[in-house]
Amino acid sequence: MHRIHRHTANCRNVAKHVQEQLDYGLSSGAYRKIKEHLERCPKCTAYLDSLKKTVFLYQRYPDPHVPKRMRQRLFAVLNLH
Amino acid sequence: MPLSELELIRQAQRGDERAFTRLVSHYESLVYGFAFKVCRDKELASETWQDTFVNVYRKLHQFDGRSKFTTWLYTIVVNNCRMKRRKSKLEVASVSIEAPGGFHDTRGTDDEGRGAQTTIPPWKETPLDAVMHSELKGVLDSAIQKLPMDYRIVFILRDVEGLSAEETGRILKLSVPAVKSRLRRARVFLRERLNPYMTT
Repeated sequence: MHRIHRHTANCRNVAKHVQEQLDYGLSSGAYRKIKEHLERCPKCTAYLDSLKKTVFLYQRYPDPHVPKRMRQRLFAVLNLH
Repeated sequence: MPLSELELIRQAQRGDERAFTRLVSHYESLVYGFAFKVCRDKELASETWQDTFVNVYRKLHQFDGRSKFTTWLYTIVVNNCRMKRRKSKLEVASVSIEAPGGFHDTRGTDDEGRGAQTTIPPWKETPLDAVMHSELKGVLDSAIQKLPMDYRIVFILRDVEGLSAEETGRILKLSVPAVKSRLRRARVFLRERLNPYMTT
């Protein structure tokens, strides 16, 4: 029980900072302990991976093209030629 | 800001219509893309796009060049997205991020909304091909439409458009810690909504 409790506490601690990894990477010495935890904790690793994939999927979502008629309509509204 | 772009803005501010149309041409994709990402609806994005450039045309004299032009532009399009939301079903579509089913979706979760004792199934590989299939698009649209507007805008500005926390804060008149807090909650919210699709 003690080991499980300690493990959970570490995961909670990592959870607070894991998103920093998304923003700044783990190169900083300040995040070395988080990196060490991730290397031995499949749960936190899977969680971080899923957060990364969440962001990645929205980044990959293609932008629609601007229809030509929109520009024509705008310039008509503004009375521009 | 490149000098040529600033000069283009100055010419448009002096009433040069060709300079203004060149500005529209230069920024139309940025505005339409952002509006679509927020609205998830081409018609609403189109209306937001037009409202934004009408505002730009009428308020361009207020731009003093001290901030980046894109920061000023994002401020206008964000305001128009918010106004459009108030007039549409987008208001109804989103749920409270604090409500059950929102950010804290299960009992006994930790600060990131994870069940402390549960396992976390790995997500399947994300598609690397250029064409994102329509089923996945539908899942992504549905998830982000449930995210409250204030969180949605932070997520799009930071994680999708790639703006810094400082610039996002200037656009939304939020502190950097507030931007970071909303971004983290938004990511967790979206992750929870995508989880059933990405683990089956």
